[in-house]
Amino acid sequence: MARAMETGNHAAGYALAVAGEANRDARGCACGAYPITPQSEIIEFLRGFDFTKGRVIPVESEHSAMAVCIGASLAGARAFTASSANGLAYMVENIFAAGFYRLPIVLIAVNRTLGPPWNIWVDQGDSLMLRDAALLQFYAESHQDLVDTILVAFRVGEDQRVLLPALVALDGFVTSHTQMVVDLPERELVDRYLPHCNIPHRLRGEHPATIGGLTWPRETEHHRVEIQEAMERVPQVLAEALDEFEHVFGRRPHGALSAEHTDDADTVLMACNTMVRTLRNVVTARRDKGERIGMINSKMFRPFPRQELLAAVSNAKRIGVLDRNHSPGSGGIFWQEVAATLQSRPDVIVQDYLVGLGGGDVTPEVIDEIIDDLNAREKAGEPVWKEVAA
Amino acid sequence: MIELTIYGRGGQGGVTLAKLIATAHFLRGKHGQAFGVYAAERSGAPLQAYVRIDDNEITNHNQVYEPDHVIVLDRTLINPQILTGLKPDGWIILNSPDGPDAFAEQFSGWHVATVDATTIAVSNGLGTRAVPIVNTTVLGAAARVFDMSLEDVEAALVEVKFGGPNIKSAREAYERVQVKRLKGRLAAAPSAPPKEPVAGILDDVVGAMPRIKTGSWATRQPERQTLTPPCNHGCPAGNDVRGFVEAVGEEDYDRAMTILLETSPLPGVCGRVCPAPCMEACNRRLFDEPVNVRELERYAADHGQRPDPVKPWRKERMAVVGSGPAGLSAAYHLARLGYPATMFEGSAELGGVLRTGIPTYRLPRDVLGEEISYVLQHGVDVQSGRFIDRADLLKLSHEYAAVFVGTGLQDSRNLNISGSATDLMEQGIDFLDRVRQGQVRLDGEHVIVVGGGNTAVDAARSAKRIGAGSVRIVYRRTRAEMPAIKEEVDEGLEEGVTLHELVMPLRLDRDGLGPLLTCQRMRLGEPDESGRPRPIPDTSEDAQFDLRCNRVILALGQTSNLAILPEGSEIRKDGTLLGLSGAPIFAGGDFATAEGTVTAAIGSGRSGAWHIHRTLTGEDLFPPPSEPVAEPDVITMHLFNHAPRENSVMLPAADRRHTFKEVRLGLADGPDRHPAVAEAGRCFSCGVCNDCDQCLNYCPEGIVLRDGEGYRFDYGYCKGCGICSSQCPRGVIYMSEL
Repeated sequence: MARAMETGNHAAGYALAVAGEANRDARGCACGAYPITPQSEIIEFLRGFDFTKGRVIPVESEHSAMAVCIGASLAGARAFTASSANGLAYMVENIFAAGFYRLPIVLIAVNRTLGPPWNIWVDQGDSLMLRDAALLQFYAESHQDLVDTILVAFRVGEDQRVLLPALVALDGFVTSHTQMVVDLPERELVDRYLPHCNIPHRLRGEHPATIGGLTWPRETEHHRVEIQEAMERVPQVLAEALDEFEHVFGRRPHGALSAEHTDDADTVLMACNTMVRTLRNVVTARRDKGERIGMINSKMFRPFPRQELLAAVSNAKRIGVLDRNHSPGSGGIFWQEVAATLQSRPDVIVQDYLVGLGGGDVTPEVIDEIIDDLNAREKAGEPVWKEVAA
Repeated sequence: MIELTIYGRGGQGGVTLAKLIATAHFLRGKHGQAFGVYAAERSGAPLQAYVRIDDNEITNHNQVYEPDHVIVLDRTLINPQILTGLKPDGWIILNSPDGPDAFAEQFSGWHVATVDATTIAVSNGLGTRAVPIVNTTVLGAAARVFDMSLEDVEAALVEVKFGGPNIKSAREAYERVQVKRLKGRLAAAPSAPPKEPVAGILDDVVGAMPRIKTGSWATRQPERQTLTPPCNHGCPAGNDVRGFVEAVGEEDYDRAMTILLETSPLPGVCGRVCPAPCMEACNRRLFDEPVNVRELERYAADHGQRPDPVKPWRKERMAVVGSGPAGLSAAYHLARLGYPATMFEGSAELGGVLRTGIPTYRLPRDVLGEEISYVLQHGVDVQSGRFIDRADLLKLSHEYAAVFVGTGLQDSRNLNISGSATDLMEQGIDFLDRVRQGQVRLDGEHVIVVGGGNTAVDAARSAKRIGAGSVRIVYRRTRAEMPAIKEEVDEGLEEGVTLHELVMPLRLDRDGLGPLLTCQRMRLGEPDESGRPRPIPDTSEDAQFDLRCNRVILALGQTSNLAILPEGSEIRKDGTLLGLSGAPIFAGGDFATAEGTVTAAIGSGRSGAWHIHRTLTGEDLFPPPSEPVAEPDVITMHLFNHAPRENSVMLPAADRRHTFKEVRLGLADGPDRHPAVAEAGRCFSCGVCNDCDQCLNYCPEGIVLRDGEGYRFDYGYCKGCGICSSQCPRGVIYMSEL
């Protein structure tokens, strides 16, 4: 392993590049590239990488960047790109297309607040707007988790039982632009970990075919069911991918959902991305004082790990969800998932906290206040705006 | 865990410094974290960067609120606010030319380290004094404080791929940093001001963003200036060239005429015969071709109405001797100042050299007549056919309140040519006057004109028109050095005149076949005092040759005849003659300056009038020193489109050879063509705002405002980005450092 001080963006760029390179003896790799703050350094890194069999193709928009990935993937290449905020919004149509085409493209989302008004800091509203695409979604908590999860995302998405695109999100600036110590996986190990990309329905000159033409309702229903079934196979595929990762690299990345200290906890907090690490420090400190408190790192948003969640909170009385996002007219998006999952558990208080929107710095003090609020609750209420920058 | 806050400005490398410090520790096996608070991705904006160092994995991703130490990269950011949250034993590391004691009061009780990183960095070529890149230098200073060795510093610089000057600079800083614990009670940060309530998105103007005061963000701000357009600067008559061109562009020819008549009574004349130094100065020459100012002036004169002349209202009477361009200008400007003026002219008709020296195919009589008539309508009296000699001048100086002498150049330069046929030589200026009076035909004659100025070209082209069989101009330098107006030379060549460069006549003899001009071939040597290459005789064998001819016309320039002036007097530089008995006598035009152009004579006549007025009344009309000239580098040329110059319609060369009809017919309007407006539209309006709105349209903050009083900047919301300045096509907006 090469230990280095790198920004999150360069670490992500490295992971994409070595994953693409691992397909050099098959049908190569391709990246449709369009820069946007705070994602740009990923594209810069990829443009500077000397691919044996692969190209970074600069285009005029995010929509076209994903179109390039779709074309490359349909030709059998390992395809990937990255974007943020309004760039992701512009890409949306083709992200849906990639999912419905069943193309295992990896998309890095450097989370940034959607504008206007313009704001470049972290907020998960951009990637979570893709909630209903046929797209796996992972949220990385650290540089190391980011690098490892990108490799896992390729392996799971390309698995013949899944064949779906995968999104890996990181915090804009907090992760993307921060220099941290990270172990960059060596290329030989990545070559071992990632099988050649196999797109079974790729276009072949010897068998001309149309993909994505007009279908009747009956066929559409069938395709949606197929996608749902593929999603349902993800936990098994992911578990195998993590086992293999540990086997090759000697460490195990977080799974879809990590429960920490929940066995004896009355109060459980849930978060993802770097907020998890702040939360972990707060929970550790409180447990050192004897509190029965636990936490959940909800790393995977799609498919949402309902079974893992139910198992993790079997002894909990109160669950607080930290949502760095806001669905206007409803509330936090993770909270909606948790509330829907726990409909069978009316005894549990599920309370939403909207926190750190627009890049507000979620400090341990803020999380302490949230926990105090949660512990004092007899029943759940409407989502609470916890404005950290007020 | 050690936490560190770096205060700097965008472009100084604060985030990279954070990375270097973290890297130096990482290379020693520690965990490091380095990041900046990003907002304005813009040079000069204040920013903070943070570093964390620990033995274990760092899981804190928040900003640093209670740093162990602070570093300030920019002198302008040193203020008590940097003490916010700083731990009491922490270091304050300052980029400052002053030592720690300079901060005895501000940072009393604190550990302070100073280093003049800006000077060290700039001396090692890292950035400029305006934008020094000080990060690698400050790293050296920080190393001393953070117990890092020079080896650690160099290893980090190498790891982050910084080269020699950075390492040298860091080493110098390491050696030169001054450290001290200041005496006194620990100074405290001022308490943070209470936060203002946040504006709603619908507040202010509907749909507008909540506005943010830019505060210390801006390090510079736009200012407006008016520069002198190079055309105006280059016009010897002092015309507001840019102003009248703008009026032509707006099809307001009356206004164009009013602007021109402010300074010159002869726009119709200048629009035809001026050598147009304005066009030589025109910045557009560096883009495609200069604006065709001469034709635009003619167009304005041909199409604009003159304002009603004013009549004299003062009692002091003025005498003007000479009615050439200087005299006409002096009389005109004196009359406009209210003085009744009398013009004395030796010839029967007014106009001086404009009438006798410029052929009518260049300057039709009616154009000249109309402009002279306009001068006279200002209540100017004329005494023509009255030659003023020295005694007369002294007399006038007693009869009038002031006398202006503008008698031009009366004596022609001669050439020392020997030989038996020198009777065939004639002065060009005399020849032109005889041609004008219809006294001469040259049917079939072979004519040689000697010289390179306008008189030479005029004589040659006139000779062609009165039947000469051949006309040759011989000139001792090359065409490039000819003082004549370039277009006139072109037109002469079109009409069949030939030019013999690098030729100097020596003798004019006769042999059995007739007259014979012996010439010497020349070559160009080193520049002489006029800046032009000096012609020197070619020494090769066949350097002398003969040219057959019937007539030689000399056009070598003229000199003024100072015999009219009182004995012992001299012309002073400012054109005044003082110390005489009686009224003051002022001299102007070619008589005084020998500038040799109509436009210079006009300008000289006007300043003569102003001198007289100032002497009589004490009122000074001379403008204060003008603003600097708008040099080409202030013009944002890429904002303009290339456009070919509009040119005058010409009488065909074949038609010109036998008539004195005007050759240039001016910019001709067609059904769908308005070349004068198009040509005026080519003007850059150098250094003068013409309300193009480019600044207003491009300001990303919408802080350029325009109302009835023009443009202004709402500095409260200006971030100093400079886009207005870089988008100003004409150098009106510049950025001043705050």
